[in-house]
Amino acid sequence: MRTYVLRRLLQAIPLLIGITALTFLLLQLAPGDFLGTMAENPAISPATIADLRHRFGLDQPWYVQCLLYLRNVLFHLDFGESFSRHQPVFAVLREGLGNTLLLATAAALVTWGLAIPLGVWAAVHRNGWSDRLLSVVAFAGLSVPEVLSGLLLLFLAARTGWFPVGGMRSLDWEGLGAGARVLDVAHHLVLPALVTGLVPLAGRMRQMRGTLLDVLGLDFVTTARAKGLPEHAVIYKHALRNALNPLITLFGYTLGALVSGSFVAEIVFAWPGLGRITYEALMTRDTYLVLGGVLMASVVLVLGNLVADLLLAFSDPRIADV
Amino acid sequence: MFHAKSALGSVVAVNALVLACGCGGGSSAPKTYVDRVPLPADTMTVLADEIGHYGGRFVFGATSAPKTFNPLMANENSSTDVTNQLFTSLADFDLGRQVDIPVLARRWEIGADGRTWTFHLRHGARFSDGWPISASDVLFSFEVGADSTLHSSVHDLITIDGRPFDISAPDSYTVVVRTPRVLALTLAYVGSVRIVPRHVLEPAYRAGRYASAYATSTPPESLVTSGPWRLESYAPGEKVVLARNPYWFGVDTKGRRLPYLDQLVYLVVPDQNALALKFQAGEVDGIDNVRPEDYATYEKGQRAGHYVLHDLGPSLNTNFMWFNLNRVRKTASGRRVGDPQVGAVKYAWFSDVRFRRAVSMAIDRDAIIRSVLFGQGVKNWTLQTAGNRVWHDDSIRGPDHDPDGARRLLAGMGLRDRNGDGVLEDLHGNPVRFTLSTNADNTLRVQMTNFIRDDLARVGIACIPAPIEFNTLIASIRETFRYDAMLLGLGSGVPPDPAMAQNAYRSSGMSHYWNAGQPRPETPPEAEMDRLIATNAGTLDLAERHRTTHELNRIWNDQVFTIWMPTVITRLPVSDRFGNVHPVILPNRVLWNIDRVYVKTPRPGG
Repeated sequence: MRTYVLRRLLQAIPLLIGITALTFLLLQLAPGDFLGTMAENPAISPATIADLRHRFGLDQPWYVQCLLYLRNVLFHLDFGESFSRHQPVFAVLREGLGNTLLLATAAALVTWGLAIPLGVWAAVHRNGWSDRLLSVVAFAGLSVPEVLSGLLLLFLAARTGWFPVGGMRSLDWEGLGAGARVLDVAHHLVLPALVTGLVPLAGRMRQMRGTLLDVLGLDFVTTARAKGLPEHAVIYKHALRNALNPLITLFGYTLGALVSGSFVAEIVFAWPGLGRITYEALMTRDTYLVLGGVLMASVVLVLGNLVADLLLAFSDPRIADV
Repeated sequence: MFHAKSALGSVVAVNALVLACGCGGGSSAPKTYVDRVPLPADTMTVLADEIGHYGGRFVFGATSAPKTFNPLMANENSSTDVTNQLFTSLADFDLGRQVDIPVLARRWEIGADGRTWTFHLRHGARFSDGWPISASDVLFSFEVGADSTLHSSVHDLITIDGRPFDISAPDSYTVVVRTPRVLALTLAYVGSVRIVPRHVLEPAYRAGRYASAYATSTPPESLVTSGPWRLESYAPGEKVVLARNPYWFGVDTKGRRLPYLDQLVYLVVPDQNALALKFQAGEVDGIDNVRPEDYATYEKGQRAGHYVLHDLGPSLNTNFMWFNLNRVRKTASGRRVGDPQVGAVKYAWFSDVRFRRAVSMAIDRDAIIRSVLFGQGVKNWTLQTAGNRVWHDDSIRGPDHDPDGARRLLAGMGLRDRNGDGVLEDLHGNPVRFTLSTNADNTLRVQMTNFIRDDLARVGIACIPAPIEFNTLIASIRETFRYDAMLLGLGSGVPPDPAMAQNAYRSSGMSHYWNAGQPRPETPPEAEMDRLIATNAGTLDLAERHRTTHELNRIWNDQVFTIWMPTVITRLPVSDRFGNVHPVILPNRVLWNIDRVYVKTPRPGG
């Protein structure tokens, strides 16, 4: 098992290098650089811009920049400095990572907390009106863009006052007691977690419904029913446990995608996370900050997939032996 | 069944708990501030409509968070908006009256040569840690600012022709600044240098770590400030909380120390729509950006939303369109140095002043004001809009709407519709067609390009609007020069002085967009403009400066270098709970006088 994990982690290294090179290339293909907007400032002379461009290494061809960056990362663990903030990239990104993970976790709770019970309900009431209604609602949630649903929920919050209009904490958060602080963040968390969590809901719910239906058609279920077990015992004690297995793996994969999934909600709901920092860095072409952000999201993705595979290995030991 | 039920049930329970908490947002009874620090010998009396009282806070909605708290390294608005509150300078520009005012320097004298400025510092001024502010701090700040290895944001302002200003301090309350030559904007340049504490920052500077000093990760208590505010806390990406600097030397007319407010909060809300909702929900007291199409909504919501929509008058930001007259300056495949970037055919039209005048006369600016700006706009013909109190010149007019006159001018150039397709052709049968680019994120400009297309179609010119992404646009006007025509604008500097726009007037300037960075002026009018702007920026004689500004703008419009578009009338909503709120057209529009703003009526229920 240990060698399996180790091998997977080693495999991730060329993947992350590839992601870095690709991001570098894409950033280079887009016109302009960090100093481009600065050049519009009449208080800064062209000579200064040229000098800064040289100092940041932006006058080098992209592959030279990329190789230099990779060398610094691999041999010195130096991820560079943000141009605009004059701070190491990870000092900046660290500010957002925890908040993003919090939002991502809450969103996962929304997704799975709804997907499993609703999927079970839909399977049990297969082709009934409630099953059809659930799939219509779920797919509507899937097809409405997050920006729109986010703004609609914000509008609702502003109108009713039930929820704060974006943000992560109240202004007076520092003055609250420990318990009230947690509740305050939770209160702010509800809407962005809903918006982020509802997107993958439709897929997961259908998955739950499908696997449960498959299992319900198996012989041992028929046997259980033939024994005269009550229906709820058949479904929840026997069928559901067997149907959950494939979903456990799926859960791991969702973990990986969650960080990238919350970017839109972070911007609409003013959630101070990784996505916002990366987005702003991208807009101002703060190269190393973008790379750091992308790299961090990729690492979470890789780890998420690893967890998924490990979960799979636990439920099916044959995988780990390969 | 119980599975589903219990899962849903717990979600509801958590919500109920949270809701209950949200209503009782904790507030212990705030104590009124008592000023226990003795006032300095030289206080600065700040004029305001009303005398206020201590307490409360103002929450300002910002769309992005500061990148640094270092005033000499801060380069963009989200940072300078905050650092300008934290750090003061010798002199400043009063955004309300649009005049220079003494701040840390209580007065100054100008030597007979016009290059020697002697500043007398206020006695008893102190940093937020109680340490006295002396000439040595001013010298240090200028040294850092002029350090060419550091590239501070003020470096190019206090360095002229490669030579930095010469600064000396005869005693600890006198600073003498000698500029390499006479500069109209000496005060603005000197004022751009914010005073930082030598006793805190000198070790970092000598160790080569100045650029990262006062980063956003600095603990608030070690951020020593010279301005009316100090940093109380910073939550990354969420909010910046400023509290009063208890040692600040600004007082009201009754001699009470400012600022009145306990706190000034910058709340970061990146999405404009979300910010508008937050303002209307009363969670934010002021915002800095409202689109003209939303004015009516804000106007209607004033009473219910407890805010006032202030009318700031015409914006200082201009909108104009120009034709690409740039030439190839570097050899590239198939292009010779000196060739027009747009090719010979289009260059023949674009370089003809009759063509540019005809385009300007084809455009119905009243219709644009009515439809695109919802009536909230004024015509504008110079870089100094009607919002500019000192430099606006109402006698200057460019060629305005006259489609028949436009048609006559085009016919006079030999442009006719030879094949009856509604589009003019030149003598060689080339249809008169060009693309008009603008930045796609500015919806007003994109709509303007559509109006321009329709107006030009009426005189037989085919104009194709092409909104492009901002960074692509910057690259086209700075590096590639591959475009036909561009609709853009220039914001105003502070102070809004013609000498701040030298980059646009001068033929070698990069904001002389239609033909940027000319090694030598290509046309006699541009050579004349170069002479005029040099005179303008190199004298302290105000009458001479007004004369040259008038001439510059007259030549600009005679040559129709740009086709001017209307300027927006700016309106901004601010909560009605505060006194002395007086938003102005110059940035920072809402918070420029926040040191004298006070809470008039407490928040209901708070």
